[in-house]
Amino acid sequence: MKTEEEKLREFEDRIARGETIEPGDWMPEGYRKQLIRMISQHAHSEIVGMLPEGAWITRAPTLHRKRVLLAKVQDEGGHGEYLYHAAETLGISREEMLNALLTGKAKYASVFNYPTRTWADVGVIGWLVDGAAILNQTMLAKCSYGPYARAMLRICAEENFHKKQGQEMVILLSQGTPAQRAMVQDAINRWWWPTLMMFGPHDTDSINSAELIRWGIKTKTNDELRQMFINQMVPELHALGLTVPDPDLRYDAETGNWISGEIDWEEFWRVIRGGGPCNKERLAARQKAHEEGRWVREALEAYAQKHTKEQIR
Amino acid sequence: MSDTQWPRFEVFLQAAEGEPHQYVGSVHAPDAEMALLNARDVFVRRPHCVSLWVVPADHILAKTAQELAEKGWEEVETPTQTQTASYCVFQKREHRGTLIYVGIVNAQTPAQALRRAVELFTKHPSLVWWVFPVRLVTQSNIEERESLFEPALDKPYKQPTYYRTSAQIHQIKLTKRLPEESL
Repeated sequence: MKTEEEKLREFEDRIARGETIEPGDWMPEGYRKQLIRMISQHAHSEIVGMLPEGAWITRAPTLHRKRVLLAKVQDEGGHGEYLYHAAETLGISREEMLNALLTGKAKYASVFNYPTRTWADVGVIGWLVDGAAILNQTMLAKCSYGPYARAMLRICAEENFHKKQGQEMVILLSQGTPAQRAMVQDAINRWWWPTLMMFGPHDTDSINSAELIRWGIKTKTNDELRQMFINQMVPELHALGLTVPDPDLRYDAETGNWISGEIDWEEFWRVIRGGGPCNKERLAARQKAHEEGRWVREALEAYAQKHTKEQIR
Repeated sequence: MSDTQWPRFEVFLQAAEGEPHQYVGSVHAPDAEMALLNARDVFVRRPHCVSLWVVPADHILAKTAQELAEKGWEEVETPTQTQTASYCVFQKREHRGTLIYVGIVNAQTPAQALRRAVELFTKHPSLVWWVFPVRLVTQSNIEERESLFEPALDKPYKQPTYYRTSAQIHQIKLTKRLPEESL
């Protein structure tokens, strides 16, 4: 009989060899708990993330844009599904996760607690927010837990168009009329910092990171990913004649990095803890959708029960 | 059953004729018919798919290589299944891969089917094994192939290649005669 220490050592050897952990394999309780937390929060983020852009489906300026936005929001719903199912392989139920979301106990990416005030917000969210998510998800696609890694691969493949369609919108608006340019610049001013906050606290304040890296769940730190994002975005925004709302932003020729000003961590924690502009609205929208959808679930169940009697098993 | 906790069905997708079905994930549904529709909505928003299988998760015998090596064989005898039945066998062969359909074995119990599969499908080392009775597979109808899977094909704007953003930015830089910064 192996001791817990021996099992843990073997497990960490497997991770170091680049092996994938599948349901049924031994795993330390901390690994299971961390993954349940991360994956369920990720799933909730996809579902809540449908709301800010979903509000603009009825107000898209052309049929083409409406179809594109419908496809994107539909994808987010599907991504939530992939992730809830990945979490379920670790022993948490859908009911438990939905309950946590609907009672306001569950966390989700706080970037979705900000309002989409204009049509330009839709483009900016696509390019910035989905762009940031892609960096994170590309890293997670290599993580050690099979169901999560496979969900990430599928999500990355589909998410790419989310970023591109947003980028295209921002490009068009930035080269448009003065009113369009002002609208897109205003949207960037409001979404830039919440997007940077998506990467989480500074590495020095990130309590989970060391363990997540040792267990192959993360391979890059919060600050590393954030720096990659800033380096990608700034030159392209500047090329379009747009600016970033950061008076302290400067280019460091030695490292090739665009050095950002300091994030307002007070705002970061306030929004995570429920004090953002739309936290209450997002929660209310989810609760309403759940209640108003009850008749659909009941109808499906009644239909299924009726047909069970007719099945030959 | 509670209305947020329906049974789980595992979903297998065949991308094209002649290719083996692959495991893509799972859905919750009150029955197999609804599971197929949910599977289409969740897993076929993009090309390509010609067939979907859904199987009740409870009836799949799943073992990782580690489980087989450390816990040995567990013979779970089910007296009601003394007749020989056909079982589908799925294998995961690569760490960065998914379960792939390899074939059928005949057996009287799931454990026996797994044992036979391990003996039979030796061409590749297997990291994970799944076996389940063929009769529990609900598959998408061939006649419904068009209505189920065509919608994923006629929406090119869902592909990143539909967009030309790099070229657009490049063109704008040329027009403004901005230096090419390394991205």
